[in-house]
Amino acid sequence: MKRFTIVFAVLMLAMVACAPKVTKITLMQNKPEIDGALKAYAADWSKTSKNEVTIKSVGGSTGADLGKQLKADYAAGDMPDIFVIAGPEDYKEWESIILDLSSEKWVSKTAVAFKTNGKTYGFPVAVEGWGMAYNADVLAKAGVDPAGLVNLDSYAKAFAKIDAMKAALGIKSVVSMAASIDMSWVTADHNFNSLLSNGLPYGDLSVTKDLASGKVDATRLAEYADWVELLFKYADRTVLTTGNYDAQVGAFASGKAAFLHQGNWTDPNMKAANATFKMAFAPHGSMKADTNGIFVAAPSFYVINSKSKNVAGAKKFLEDLVFTDAGNKYMVEGAGMIPAYSNVSLKPSGQLSASVQAWAASGKVYSWNQYNFSTDFRQKTLGPIYNQLATGKIDKAKFVALMATAFGSLKK
Amino acid sequence: MKRKSDSNFVFWLFLAPVLFAFAMVIVVPFILGVYYSFTTWSSSARVGDGTRFVGLKNYVESLADPAFAYSFIITIGYTVINMAVINMAALALALLVTTKIKLRNLYRAGFFIPNLIGGLILGYVWQFIFNNAMPSLGTMLGFTSWADPSNLILASNIKAIGAIIAAGSWQYAGYIMVIYVAAIENVPQELHEAAQIDGATALRRLFVITIPLAAQAFTITLFLTLVQSFKQFDVNVSLTNGGPSTMFMGKPIFGTELLALNIYDTAFLSNNLAMGQARAVIFFLVLAMVALVQVSLNKKREIEL
Repeated sequence: MKRFTIVFAVLMLAMVACAPKVTKITLMQNKPEIDGALKAYAADWSKTSKNEVTIKSVGGSTGADLGKQLKADYAAGDMPDIFVIAGPEDYKEWESIILDLSSEKWVSKTAVAFKTNGKTYGFPVAVEGWGMAYNADVLAKAGVDPAGLVNLDSYAKAFAKIDAMKAALGIKSVVSMAASIDMSWVTADHNFNSLLSNGLPYGDLSVTKDLASGKVDATRLAEYADWVELLFKYADRTVLTTGNYDAQVGAFASGKAAFLHQGNWTDPNMKAANATFKMAFAPHGSMKADTNGIFVAAPSFYVINSKSKNVAGAKKFLEDLVFTDAGNKYMVEGAGMIPAYSNVSLKPSGQLSASVQAWAASGKVYSWNQYNFSTDFRQKTLGPIYNQLATGKIDKAKFVALMATAFGSLKK
Repeated sequence: MKRKSDSNFVFWLFLAPVLFAFAMVIVVPFILGVYYSFTTWSSSARVGDGTRFVGLKNYVESLADPAFAYSFIITIGYTVINMAVINMAALALALLVTTKIKLRNLYRAGFFIPNLIGGLILGYVWQFIFNNAMPSLGTMLGFTSWADPSNLILASNIKAIGAIIAAGSWQYAGYIMVIYVAAIENVPQELHEAAQIDGATALRRLFVITIPLAAQAFTITLFLTLVQSFKQFDVNVSLTNGGPSTMFMGKPIFGTELLALNIYDTAFLSNNLAMGQARAVIFFLVLAMVALVQVSLNKKREIEL
């Protein structure tokens, strides 16, 4: 018996000593639409490196949300090695465990990395953008030139013109817009950003900071309210009040709406729906003054957990996305994303992504400032206000008053 | 003497696995949860903001929040209506499938099946019914008002709560029916025969014989439906997710956010886990109190044969 125990112990030791040293990396991200492509790339990458990457995707539907999952995992002591933050609010949430990546090779190749206090912390996952996506074929038939859609007036005229020709154009509504509570991210995140950054130089936080400290520019807010009212007025009410993402994007993809209030991430949906018409983005008309640009930024950033046991492997994984052909191919062709790195020459095939790239290439871009406000404020305070206006329970004046009160409540 | 302590030891030994599991998954988390509700716990890695003790702050702020008060009110309303609808539907179904109608076993299985569908899936199915199927059906049948966007059920918060009741009842009535069926079948047939000879109508026999003798079943079913309604979460999330909005005390808030969803949103949407925990404790206390009162009232009505 004793001999057997010794033999057994020796065998165990031998096994441990001989086992190849494979380190594990867990990456948790929030884009279910690229889950398949990312997993395939990670599996290939794991084969050539000595690391084993596990991809976990959370999000895309009600109740499943990366922030919630991270909190649960953090409480359980099971934080992933690489995870995703969307902006300053998320950064604050995880500040003490986010690794400084300033000395990484890819930092010099991108203009949109997540930086704070002069240090780089976040690896931009991609570049995304939204404006008013339009169906170029419908606009041409209606005799509306998309190049002229630059302010509140031109939109009001174009919407009225198209609305009058709905039957002839074969569309059901002018705009495909969603404002249910479930779709608050369209209103209280994306549309809200028109108020924060439209017409301002890239990265200008003046309006954002004013609002966050309770100072409201009444003219800007009033013009913005006109814009929201205009969008809601010409939207299909069923989609507006109860529609989900599929209903909203579907209406545009099937040619039933001339405009869509979404971004270039809808490209895969367009492809799935066989939408072959020409489409591109026009600026938001949230102001009386002309604006010439759409909202483009990195929507989310990979950050490395500084408590990770495999920081080197995690760094290498991010670096290889930018500097290997396989990594570039995955980002652009596999996941269909617009690369955030200047050394990547591949171009995504989606029409809306191409439009975002064209706007970005000519420098006509406005920043994303909405994530400077907390999720609580956007989803629970602003979301219901937009929804009240959409369901017709309040009018524009009340909308303005409620928005002003909401910003007033932020004053410390 | 020795014998006794031996059997005592064996008794606890057999109980140990269950006690261990109970302590680990119920008792410890509960105590931790109550503790966290008095702190600034956030379950994240913020800088310079460790978990501090703040006393009753989370409780006071919760009670002052209009959204929480609103959730409390609609949850109580929802619970009362939902209990009534589920129990009446379940009793009616149970009476139906205990008569001698053809295919009654098929009906029993059929009414029970919705209970096997997960609440989340069920919510999405009913969302499709309310948003797409009903307007289409209305157009087909000539009820154009069904297709009018301003009449959409999920676009009005009161109607949307009704929609949660409809979906929830559809799911749960079959389960409660099974309990009623068991109780009704246990009522001795002689009593019915004797009453029939005396000329009692079916309705009278229902109220004088069946319902009193099935009182134990009512204790259970009312308790189950009470707790289930109060804790309603999954159908709420998938069917409405709190929408549409409504105005309450001058503030625009989620119009169909039942208590459980309010707690969840406080914790994860507002990023305030400690306050969510405090609300969960309030929720627990209220539910425990109401359930105890309900059970003791029902117990008094039970009859021993």
